[in-house]
Amino acid sequence: MKRWIPLFTALLLAACSGSTSFVEELPNIYPDYIGVTVPAGIAPLNFNLPEDYDRVFVRVTGDNGGEIKVRGRWADFPVRKWHELTERNAGAALHFTVLGRKNGLWKQWRDFIVYVSDVPLDDYGVTYRKIAPGYTTYSTIGIYQRDIHTFLEEPIIESTLTPGQCMNCHTANATDPSQFLFHLRGRHGATLIQKDGVREWVTTKTDSTLGNVAYCYWHPEGRWFAGSINPVRQCFWTGDQRTIEVFDLASDLVIMDMNDHSLVVDPRFTTTDYLESSPAFTPDGKTLYFCKAKAFEVPRFVDSIRYDLMRTSFDDQTGALGDIETVIPASREGHSIAFPRPSYDGRWLMYNQADFGVFPISHKEADLWLMDLQTGESRPIDEVNSPFSESFHNWSGNSRWFLFSSRREDGLYVQIWIASIDENGHCTKPFVLPQKNPHKYYHSTLYSFNAPDFTRERVRFDTRGVYREVFSDERIQATVKQ
Amino acid sequence: MNKRYGILTSSLLGLAVFAFWMWGYPQALSYQEQNQLFLFTWDYLLERLSLPGGFADWLSEFLVQFFYYRWAGALILALLAVLLQRLVWRAARKTGSEDRRSLYALSFVPSLLMLVYQGDVEVLLSYPVALILATALCPLMARARWHNLWIIPLGWWLVGPAIAVPVLYTVIRNRKGADLLMLGWLVLTAFLEYRLLASQYPARDAFLGINYYRLVESLPALQVIIPAVTLTVILLCGLGIRLRHPGVWGGLAAILLILGTWIGVHYSYGKDTHETLAYDWLIRNGRYADVLERAAKYQPNNPVSACSVNFCLFTQGQLNTRLTEFYQCGTGGLVLPSIRDNLSDVTSAELLWMMGMPNITLQYCFDLQESIQNGRKSGRFMSRIAECNIVNGWYDRAEKYLDILEHSLFYRKWAKERNYMIRDEVRVAADPVYSYIRSVRFKEDFITVYSSLDLMMAVLYNQNKNNFMAAEYYQAWQRLKTLEDVQ
Repeated sequence: MKRWIPLFTALLLAACSGSTSFVEELPNIYPDYIGVTVPAGIAPLNFNLPEDYDRVFVRVTGDNGGEIKVRGRWADFPVRKWHELTERNAGAALHFTVLGRKNGLWKQWRDFIVYVSDVPLDDYGVTYRKIAPGYTTYSTIGIYQRDIHTFLEEPIIESTLTPGQCMNCHTANATDPSQFLFHLRGRHGATLIQKDGVREWVTTKTDSTLGNVAYCYWHPEGRWFAGSINPVRQCFWTGDQRTIEVFDLASDLVIMDMNDHSLVVDPRFTTTDYLESSPAFTPDGKTLYFCKAKAFEVPRFVDSIRYDLMRTSFDDQTGALGDIETVIPASREGHSIAFPRPSYDGRWLMYNQADFGVFPISHKEADLWLMDLQTGESRPIDEVNSPFSESFHNWSGNSRWFLFSSRREDGLYVQIWIASIDENGHCTKPFVLPQKNPHKYYHSTLYSFNAPDFTRERVRFDTRGVYREVFSDERIQATVKQ
Repeated sequence: MNKRYGILTSSLLGLAVFAFWMWGYPQALSYQEQNQLFLFTWDYLLERLSLPGGFADWLSEFLVQFFYYRWAGALILALLAVLLQRLVWRAARKTGSEDRRSLYALSFVPSLLMLVYQGDVEVLLSYPVALILATALCPLMARARWHNLWIIPLGWWLVGPAIAVPVLYTVIRNRKGADLLMLGWLVLTAFLEYRLLASQYPARDAFLGINYYRLVESLPALQVIIPAVTLTVILLCGLGIRLRHPGVWGGLAAILLILGTWIGVHYSYGKDTHETLAYDWLIRNGRYADVLERAAKYQPNNPVSACSVNFCLFTQGQLNTRLTEFYQCGTGGLVLPSIRDNLSDVTSAELLWMMGMPNITLQYCFDLQESIQNGRKSGRFMSRIAECNIVNGWYDRAEKYLDILEHSLFYRKWAKERNYMIRDEVRVAADPVYSYIRSVRFKEDFITVYSSLDLMMAVLYNQNKNNFMAAEYYQAWQRLKTLEDVQ
């Protein structure tokens, strides 16, 4: 195959008027897809050259055969041909030859490679919330789903339908959209829980708890979900390194039994001296991971709050929680842990580590870490971390891919990045969620992609029904389990 | 009717409306302009066209961007008022009657009613624009016959529910049973378009106008009354009623219209709201002394006005000498806390910027912009957001905002200059404003608390004795605190 490359190159050059210069550098493409690993069937990795290049010519060939050639203002690959090429080259590499025209002169860069994994990414797409990455106010907000095999994005629910109601993160049960929940804040606030198309609106605040549940995680069997109750506040920094700090005035942890809408309120998880947050069940449903920190006066000592990674056993018959065990005493080392997420195959646990606090997205130093659940060893995932914040993350249905939020683009606007992980825990270079015209899309959007997750199938949601029910105020009042 | 008479009276209407906005309420024009950011991009057009009424919305935003200059805003609103009146009269003439002069004065009613309605600053220009487009369609739809099969759904999508005016006009004018089907067709196609393409909006919003009014969950009665009056006026004028003394009736009608409009304006233009807006407009244009002059005559008793007047006192070097001459409401009227609306914190953001607190300015401006309830952005606020990012050295973020502003008409040049400047520390340092803000800003990174704002001012002054603004505001804060304690 390689012997044909000079011929193809000559043909490419013939196609381009004027002389072409060759440079040994890699092209400066946006997004940086050079050397990334993608699943077969992912949406095309369209990319842009810097703005002063008015024309681009790209030829992609696969180790296992196949070819795509495109030309235009940016590299815009046809979806069907792209899928054929990536599927044919699963487990092999794609070679990109890129030419760009600037001031009428063509330039060809060194070819680069994109690897196509032989491990599929079976999920339909991703869900996320789009919100302005700001301060205390938002104008429009919405939960969306995106087909990761194409560029199709659909709203699940937007704030235009329920004005005045802020919506929290959409939480599915291990990527299964037939069971999910999200909390709606505001005058008509409640937690919407949908299972197999049946919706329930539950008021999870009781006389014995601080408020409604916020950060939730489903038990794999679907009967229970764990949630933290945390009145969130914000404060602001004066320097030129950071702007906002998000903290909890208090934070407790409860378990909800969907059979009778009762809350398991364990006094060990509702003390005022400690903050409990970010619960997550293991895939066997026997263990609950969560984060715990000593409480300090806030916002005065907000930078003293550091969360450790904890776990406790869980009885899925009674909802009882067992002995509490410290897994990673991060606070002793001057760190703080958030969002533990066990992989669905039970092999790994991914979490965030920052210098302090519960909201890593506003911490530039926040990184992703990976714990081997067989050995208990942890390491920062240097393959995917950046000098900017890496934050919320989730696993794909087969646990061989993961996505995460990152502010690496400009330090503020959050994007979704995807990477794969092999049996030994080695991760590949991540790629940003592809877009039809990536530079235009990411550079002009004023939204952050918040709380992303994979979704096994397309989420089906009756927006009209939801609209009627939101304003009807008919709610199921949660009780405290005796 | 004499053609010259028609032109003369329409011109008088135009002149009156122009004078009204040019000298009476120019602040409302500024408010409209700062609550939107029209972009010359296809994406912007497509985003507007993705909703019912989107073309009227896009067209109105195109026009409102010119409100950046008050004479242009006043001229546009005057032309729209004349256009509506002429279109109403044109539609009436098309009904076939010969002598129509007797009720000619009625053709001014929709334009004058619109003027009254626009006393509510949350009324968007897309509403009169939609009504004008709909009225223009009246004669066309009355003759279109089967073409109405596509005109009606397209019209509903482009101008919104105002399309009901020409549909009803056609049904009533033609008085044919078949035309009644048009109403059913309108309802059916509007419902289908709504369910298929706009289901993320409540049905009430879609069928009464998504972008006719800025505030969500609100529907002023005039939004329904004005189209109904417009239709009634067209049909009444079209009846060709012959009055015995048309000159006398015409004169009487003119007096009644002027009187009615005056009363309507008097009650619909909230004095405090428009005075507060006037302060903001004057401050935006650097006319600080004019604010004090106005406030000396009348000052609304609210924290926003107190903050604006105090800021203008500072700019005139009178903050501590004349502080008690004006309305005060404690330290909350010196610098406002973060308030979730699109106006209250504008002056606070401005003064905190000048004092050397770019991060709080950034917070305030971001929240101001996000508080625009119909989700639009603001050229004014986005410019300041970009500047805060430049001062902090966050050039990637600044570039994002500047590139967006480059697609606008009146912020383009400014944004291009900043885009040229960023990432070049020599150029940024050479900018007198940015270098000053950098020189007076906090040197330490700590958490801000509104209740300790006076201490923060003291910190600013202590670290840079040239920051006399921080010192003067600190003194004023202490005086107001003492006054509060006494009261």
